[in-house]
Parts: sequence; structure tokens; C-alpha cells
Amino acid sequence: MKKLLYIAAFLAPTLLSAQIDRSIRPKAAPAPEINIKDSEVFKLENGLTVVLSENHKVPRVSFQLVMGADPMLEGSKAGLSSLAGSLVMSGTESRTKDQLDAEKDYIGASLGADENSVYLSCLTKHMDKGLTLMADVLQNANFPQSEYERIVKQNESGLKSTKSSPAAMAGNARAKVTFPANHPYSEVMTEASLAAITREDVVAYYKQTFTPDGAYLVVVGDMTKEQAMKTAKKYFGSWKGGDAYENENLGMRKLSGNQVFFVKKPGAVQSTINIAFPMDITPGDEDQIALTVLNNIMGGGVFGNRLMQNLREDKAYTYGCRSAIDIDEYGSMFFAYGDFRNEVTDSAITEILYEIKRITEDYVTDEELDMTKKNMAGGFARSLESPQTVARFALNIKQYDLPEDYYQTYLQKLEKVTKEDILDMAQKYLQPKNLNIIVVGNEEVKDRLKQFDSDGKIDMLDAFGNEAKEVRPADITADQLLEKYVLAVTNSQNMKSAKKKVKKVKTYKRVVELTSPQIPIPLKMTDVWIAPNKEGQKMEGQGMVLQKSYFDGKAGGSSSMQAGKTEMTAEEIAAKQKTQGLIPEMNYGETGMEYAIIGIEEVDGKEMYVLKTNDGSNESFDYFDMESLMKMKSVSNSKQGEEVVTTEVTYGEYEEVNGILFPKETSMSIGPMTLSGKVSELIINKKVDLSGYN
Amino acid sequence: MKKLIYVGLASVFSTALFAQQKVEYVEYDLDNGMHVILHEDHSTPIVAVSVLYHVGSKNEKVGRTGFAHFFEHLLFEGSANIERGEYSELVEKNGGTLNANTSNDRTYYYELLPSNQLELGMWLESERLLHAKVDETGIETQRSVVKEEKRQRVDNQPYGSFLTETFKRMFVDHPYNWVPIGSMADLDAAQEEDYVNFYRTFYVPSNATLSIAGDLDIEQTKKWINKYFGSIPKGQAINLYRDWQGMDADAFEKKYGVAKDKLDGNNFMKPSDAAAKKLVAKYAAMPCTINRPPVYSGTYTAQTDTVYDNITLPGLFITYPFPTQTNKDFYALNMMNQVLSGGSSSRLNKAIVEKKQLAVQAFSFPFGLEAGGLGIIAAIASDGADLDELKAEFDTQIALMRDDLISEEEFQKVRNSIENDMLGQRSMAGIAEELANNHVYFGDANLINTELANYMAVTREDIQRVAKKYLDNDKRLILYYLPKEK
Repeated sequence: MKKLLYIAAFLAPTLLSAQIDRSIRPKAAPAPEINIKDSEVFKLENGLTVVLSENHKVPRVSFQLVMGADPMLEGSKAGLSSLAGSLVMSGTESRTKDQLDAEKDYIGASLGADENSVYLSCLTKHMDKGLTLMADVLQNANFPQSEYERIVKQNESGLKSTKSSPAAMAGNARAKVTFPANHPYSEVMTEASLAAITREDVVAYYKQTFTPDGAYLVVVGDMTKEQAMKTAKKYFGSWKGGDAYENENLGMRKLSGNQVFFVKKPGAVQSTINIAFPMDITPGDEDQIALTVLNNIMGGGVFGNRLMQNLREDKAYTYGCRSAIDIDEYGSMFFAYGDFRNEVTDSAITEILYEIKRITEDYVTDEELDMTKKNMAGGFARSLESPQTVARFALNIKQYDLPEDYYQTYLQKLEKVTKEDILDMAQKYLQPKNLNIIVVGNEEVKDRLKQFDSDGKIDMLDAFGNEAKEVRPADITADQLLEKYVLAVTNSQNMKSAKKKVKKVKTYKRVVELTSPQIPIPLKMTDVWIAPNKEGQKMEGQGMVLQKSYFDGKAGGSSSMQAGKTEMTAEEIAAKQKTQGLIPEMNYGETGMEYAIIGIEEVDGKEMYVLKTNDGSNESFDYFDMESLMKMKSVSNSKQGEEVVTTEVTYGEYEEVNGILFPKETSMSIGPMTLSGKVSELIINKKVDLSGYN
Repeated sequence: MKKLIYVGLASVFSTALFAQQKVEYVEYDLDNGMHVILHEDHSTPIVAVSVLYHVGSKNEKVGRTGFAHFFEHLLFEGSANIERGEYSELVEKNGGTLNANTSNDRTYYYELLPSNQLELGMWLESERLLHAKVDETGIETQRSVVKEEKRQRVDNQPYGSFLTETFKRMFVDHPYNWVPIGSMADLDAAQEEDYVNFYRTFYVPSNATLSIAGDLDIEQTKKWINKYFGSIPKGQAINLYRDWQGMDADAFEKKYGVAKDKLDGNNFMKPSDAAAKKLVAKYAAMPCTINRPPVYSGTYTAQTDTVYDNITLPGLFITYPFPTQTNKDFYALNMMNQVLSGGSSSRLNKAIVEKKQLAVQAFSFPFGLEAGGLGIIAAIASDGADLDELKAEFDTQIALMRDDLISEEEFQKVRNSIENDMLGQRSMAGIAEELANNHVYFGDANLINTELANYMAVTREDIQRVAKKYLDNDKRLILYYLPKEK
């Protein structure tokens, strides 16, 4: 080797340095041919489709199993799938997590799983060992309690660190405001939703998702078709499972006007900006290629794109500003993004909006179009360097029902895109007047963003994309608040007359008619109360009692159609006894209810005092309108078995009955369920008893 | 006799395995000192063209830190034949991508192109080397861009400053004291003269390695290399050429005593005028010398410090002095690192993340550089975890490394894992870069083919030996990251 080198070094200088005119730019040699190797596709009896992309360049092979299930709607348990995904590798019926880790690391393999796939990559010589582990994880994951608890704890830490990551916060907010509320893509894990998830939920998720129905096995690497067939059969042929989860039509979010969303990051030196809107397109759509060209001109792959040239090269606002389109089976969107120093946050938004608008109004230039198309063609060629790409093409053809020659003719289709097409695409898909502007940053930049919001109001979001609770210190004490509330609700000048009025009410019966989008029938809720603290409640639907409960001052219980009868525990009774009287707030001092004022928070545009109470069992937050001093809402978190359920009750339309104000409207949300109700009957001081409630 | 046969068989198998992976290449030097490495592979119609300049942040002066990296940005601005903004456009409109990066030791530029654009890639890189052009607007723009890069990657990133903070404390009175991103105040202070000098000192052919890999024909490629790079003036003649191009006729003649029009940019090395010929020959004979900072020889002491950052979870970063990357011990140190943090069955992950749940993430990595090295062992604490307990657990794990041999099983696992990594799918861009690095740092491009064997020669005893030698608590830095008070 050394000797050869020497000869080469000796030969080199003999090539004469020619004259050179450096202003002449080299011309391209004839275009190389692009050949996409065909992939083999075959199906096993249990419904599993196998896609093989053969490549013997290196002695290794990879297996990726992608499940056919749709993403699930998780509601109050948002984050379930991601939690389940990080637990799939936590042990099987026959291997603890330690054994599993040790065995896979021993052969130097990478074996991993997420919420809907399992992936193995290893040297061909270790393939059998690797596949044994992969098949075990796929079929026999057993989610040990200890691992479950560990991963939950890890996620709790993760949620905490989200609060310091601008990119994570911007991503959460973008998901929340760009997809509809009841869409899996707008679901973001929070502390509350994590607490609501149980190990049983995870097991159920795994069963529903990890099933051969509609699943694909993508094999890439050092393996022939015969070997692949034999191997797939051997390790995955006997895999069984139910039907894969399918969800309903998920719909698209309709945006009206431009909306600014702000997430506070104290101490930030840059603002992370995302400008996003949904798009109505699915993978393989005939518009996809032209739309991708549009995005690349705007801010996609090419460095010379409009956003990069404008915001980085011209203005130097940023290290990078780009745009992306996510074209996805379940929900698609466009977003432009970048990090900008605090002072230019508003200018950066102005420029991004200008670029989005501009491309919907004028043709792109021939140079831009030509450059982008050539770049995409080159990118397509470069992507073929990875054998995974070839396999992904084959998988896409199957999964999205694309024509067999979709990728073989990709370059021709790309070549045909015109500037007229680009303008069409821009007008069809871009929403310069209906978009979300999400900014994560220092609060000092916030005021300058109002101009971008079509209603001039900036929505404050928290780290998880939910409405941020802005709290400022209260100007009165908790006791002062309670007194003001009592006087207001009893329409009294002083506590003495308030007490007198309240004392006159010995019983009440109240009927509320309820409707819910989740329940097809109207419901009727009846409440009775007998001074000082006996009460009963029942819920009826179509003449049947669905649920009822009572408390006679010393004991109580509830019964429902599903759960049967349960008695109140000593703890629950002790808690209940802290609520006494028609207006329990009058008696907090004597009953031992813990209470404290949290501050003033803006809720739906109104300033409210927030009072926190704790009866020893549940924690609640009561909201009192600063102006009217009426109680508007009460939010409590209670544990039901393993789950923490958040119940929110709102009150409205207060009306005077016997000198005391009662709400005519009340609605409830319990976990993911919402009920809205109107009071149809309110009878004071008629004889009532609890016989119908126990 | 029987035994011998078995040994023979084993070696046949192992060479067969390595042969499958062997990266063939040719290499040679141009007359002007530029080193060339070529690798031919026709599996995909693409080619990677790269130039490595042996200049990094360690070649910077105090008061001008961040310069090497800033220069990397400036050298996309254009050349005598390429207008501002055109450089990346030329690559992209011809279906390629380009980028660059700067480390403590070197600056690396590359284009990845369809293989029919190989000549374009070479022209672009030769323009960058010969006569890059930067104007005031370009400097101002890139200065702001670099500042934004620092804000994004360091200031606004949780724990983003940990390398800066670590290098600052580990390397005193040495250019490793700062990291490539450098100081923004230094960039602001830079004068035109600084740029000119930096370019004339470090951007010369004898300080550059051209590495090309992909769908190419070696003979044709050599012809193009000769045309575009072979024609670049040798020695100080390159700076003579740069003056010839940049200065007006009077100034040039005043400085060099030869009329400017006696020289020809298209055939600079072979002027017909005798005086000009003499001048070029004189400057070509003057070497380009580069002062290279010596290997760090300062002392290390035990230190503990705290950084307050915009974070929610505390972090713990422990750093030990390691040898330079070319030290043979580095193979054993890399394997030791695998034992500590490679894969989910690694010691740190098992003990600290899973069993004791003191951290959400624990990691370690050896940082091998040309003039020094560091071993960093770190964790991001779990919410509410006790930091003293976390540190104590680290100490236990580090002591175990020093006190005991790793088990046979762990040893085999690490060997398998190294083999797995080395036999991975290599991209053309990756091969071009590895060949260039190996040549520049190790003086041996062929390391790409022998590295695996070097790892396989490491024993369990070697691993314990390097643990004892380098995991020295009297020389380590313990750096805590704590949330800033809001």
C-alpha cells in the first residue's frame, strides 16, 4: 500500500497545469440514470404485508414493523399512546427489561419501539437472535408495574422540562391551535392527563394497536427474497391479534382571521415563531408534488428559498427561517418557523406574512422554479443512497394506494410543474388571512404583536398549548372575599341580615334539564337539600334513574347502573361535613374547611377572584366575578380509583328567589364529557325527604 | 497442527468480513501542497466534494475568538467569479446541497451533488480557496447571523452553554479555553486587516485536503483536479496572486516592483515576462507557515462550580482530562465509554436512570481533540432528585470502572457494539469526511479500514488501565447546572 502511494505521489506533478479561464463555469455532464430497484412485496396469512428492499453492500439487515391502526383519540388521557410507546420495551412475559436490554446490547443491535412500530437493525450474523427479541416484544410485552411507575415519573420530569424548551412549547401550541379539538394531533400530554392514565389503559392500547391486521414489515438489507419469506414466516407468521383500531372522519380545523398565541418564556433572548394553518390534502394527492415545489420555493429544503434569503441573508434577523408542509393521512398543515432575537420579533412576523401573501398573488420566477425543481431532482437522487428510502417508497405505494410507477416517474412529474401550477396551489392551499401566529418568548415582546391579531386580542397559552392562567395578587383577603360574596348572593347590607335570610330557607328542590354532545338523550338532574346538611341527587334519562346519591348528615352513599351501590367512606363523610348550610361559604370558619385566596385571574375576558378550598379529600378552585361577586365556576380534582378526574361546574343567569340569588344556568364538564343545563324548577321550603335517593 | 488450522480458518473469516467493507481510495499531493483523496463508488449517482482546512478555533488569538467559525460563514459570500448569494444558489439549482462546520481544530466544507456536476463542485471549492470575495454587507450580515446562531444554539438552549463552561475551566492559557462559537464582542472588534490576514495565513493549498467520494472516474477526476486546484499558486505566490487581483496597478507595482500587467490571472504561475517570472518563482519558494498550538500541558486541579441557566431540571456535568485523539489509549477510552453509557443496558443508564431514578438521562462521551482531550460524564436530574445522591452514584460507577475488570460478557457486548457501528452503512459524504480527518489528524487515511482491528486488539485489562489512568478525581471538574431564580 505504502509503495503504491509513493508512485501515485510521484506521478501527480507530471500532469501539467494547464491555462485556465476561471470565469467559465463548468457545464454538467450528461445526467446520470436513476434506477430505483424494485422492492419485493408479499403478504402473510395473518394479514401482515412484507416489503423487502435487497441490498448487500454491508453485512447487515433491518426490520421495521409498522402497525395498521389509526391514531387514537385520547381525551382526558392525552399522551397515552406516547406513554405506551415508551413502555413497549420494558419487558416481556419471559424477559425482564434488564434481560432484554442485555441481550440486544450483547449483539450490538438496535432494537426499539414506539407507539405504533418496532424496529430492529443488526449485523446479518446476529439476525436470528435479534428477531427472537423483536417478536417477543411485539407479542408478549407485559408492562411491569415498576417500569410503568418509572416511565410515568420520567414523563413527569419531561413535562417539567418542556416548560424550558421553546421548541417543545411552540410545537405543543401549534398542535393545539391548528388541529380540531377532537383530533388526535391536537392532543398534548399535560400533568393532569398523565395522572389520569393507568397501567390498564396502556395494556389496552397495546392490544388494540399491536396487531397484524393492516400491519407492514419492511425488510432492508443483506437478505434475499427467499430468506425474507422464510424469516418473516418463522418469526411473525404465528402472530395473532384483533382488528386494528380505526377512527372516524377526523375533520379539519377552520380558522377565522389571524390569531396570535403567546407562550411566556421568562428570560428568553429569542422568540420562537411558528406560523401555521391546516391544509386539506392527503399523501399521494395529485397536488402533492406541486405543493412541495411551492413550499421549497417559500422556505423548504433550498438555502436560496424566499424566507431564508429575506430573513437571514437580507435582514439578518435569524440563523434560520424555514417552512414545512406536513402531508399526513390524518391531518396536514403548513408552518413557517424560526428563532429571532427579541427586538425583531414583530418585524420577522411581518416578513413571513409578506412572503406567504406574496406567493399567492404573483407567479414565482422562472429561475426560482427551475432551481427548486433541479434541487428536488437532486435531492431525490441523493435520497436513493439510503436503502431505507427505497423501502419507504415501496411502503408508501402500498399504504397510500399510489400507482406502481409513482416513484419511477417522479422526476417526469416534477419536471411538468409550471409556475401557473404553483400559483394555483398557493391560492388553493395557503391561508394568508386565516392563520395562527404562535410566539414563544419573553413577555416584553408581547405588546408589539397585537397588530397581527384580527381581533386585537392575544391568546395566552401555557407550555402545553392550553389557555394560560394569568394570576395576579388579590386586593382583598380570603375572609373579605367570602363576606362580600355572602352579602352579594343574599342581597344584604350586612352579615346579620344575610344570616337571617338564609336561616329562613329550610329545604329546596331543584330540577335541571341537561344536554350533552356525547349523550344522545336529554338528562334530568334533581337535587334536594334539607338544612343543615342533608342532601340527595339523582340523574335520570328516558325515565330511568342512571345514578343517585345521598348524604344524611352522618352517612351516605351512591348507586349507579354500572357500578352498583357504594357507601361513603369515613374520609368522604368527614369531607362532606365541612360543607354545611345553604351557603357553605358562611360556615367555613366552623366546619374546618381549609381555604385561601389564590389571586385574580382573567377567565373568558372577566376578572375573577380565585379561592382554593380543601375539604381533606378534594381540592377545589372557586371563581368569583370581581364585579358582581357571584360564583361563576368551580373546578375540582378528585381521584376516582386510579384516575384523577377534573370536574368543572359553571354557573350563570343568577335570579332572586326568596331574597337569595340562585343560578338559572349550570353546566358541567367531567373529564372529557360536557353537559349543559337549565334550571326548570326551584322549590323552596316544601317538604322533601331523601327516600328516593338512597 | 489441528489448532493451527483453526486459527487459520478464523483469520480467513475475519478478513472476509473486513474485505466486504474495505474502502478503496487513491491519494496524492499536488505540487502546491494540497492533499487529494479520491474514493470511487458507483452505487448511487451522487458525489461528495469536500475541502478540509486545518484551521479551527485553536488557531485564533485571544481577543479574536470565534474567527474560524465566522470565516466559515464568510466563505459562502462569493469569489472573484461568483456574486454574493450565488454560491449556494449554484449548488442548489444543480440539485445539490452544501454546508460547512467548524471545530476546535479544523474547518470543513462540502457539496453533495448529482455525479454529473462533479466538475462544478471542484470549481466552486477552488474559487473559495483561491480568491474568495467578501464585502461590507456580507460581513455585517454574517456577523448578525452568527450572533443569532449563538443565541439559538447556546444562549436560548437549556444546558446549551455546557461545553463553553467546561472548556473555559479545563483549559487555562491555551486556545481550547474557548469553543468555536467564540465571543460576540471579539467579532464586533474585528478589523478588515484581521480578515485579510486570516485568509492569507490559513486558506492556502498546503493547509487544505481535498476529499472526493462517489460516482466518479478517477482519471477524469484527476484531470479536473489538476485544472482547478493544480493551477492554484504555490507557497506565498497565492498571496502574491491575491494582491495582484486586489490591488490597483500603482500599489501593486510599488509593493512588488513588477508592473501588474506583466502577470496573467489565467496563467499566473507561468508569466512570459522575465521579471514577473522571477517574482512568481521567488514567492512560490516562500513557504506558508502556520503556527500550531502545542498539546495542552497545563495542570488540572479538582474544581467544583455552578452555572445558573434557564432550565427546570438541574444538570450535573463531570469532566476528566483525557489524552489527545491520536493517543492509542483512545480506543480503550472509547470502549470504556460504551460500558458506561452505550445502549440501555449500559451501567449509567441501569444504575442512575432506571434503578435509582435519579436522572431522566445520563450520558458520557470522550472528546478527542488534536491538542488535548476531555471525558465528559453527565446527567439531567429527575424532578426533585437529590443532587448529592446523584453525584455519589456517579462516583460509585466511576470507582467501579477503576477498581474492577469489566465482566467477560460486558466486554463481548462492547466489542459487538463497536463492530456493529463500524459495519454500518456509510454515506459518500461520511466517507469523504472520514478519509480527510484520518489523513489530517492521524496522517493515515487508511485508518478507515484498520480502525476496527485496533478496537478488537483492546483487552479488558486495557480498559481498566485507562480508567485508572484517566478517571482521576484530583483533576476533574464538577459542574452543576441549576435553574435561575425567576
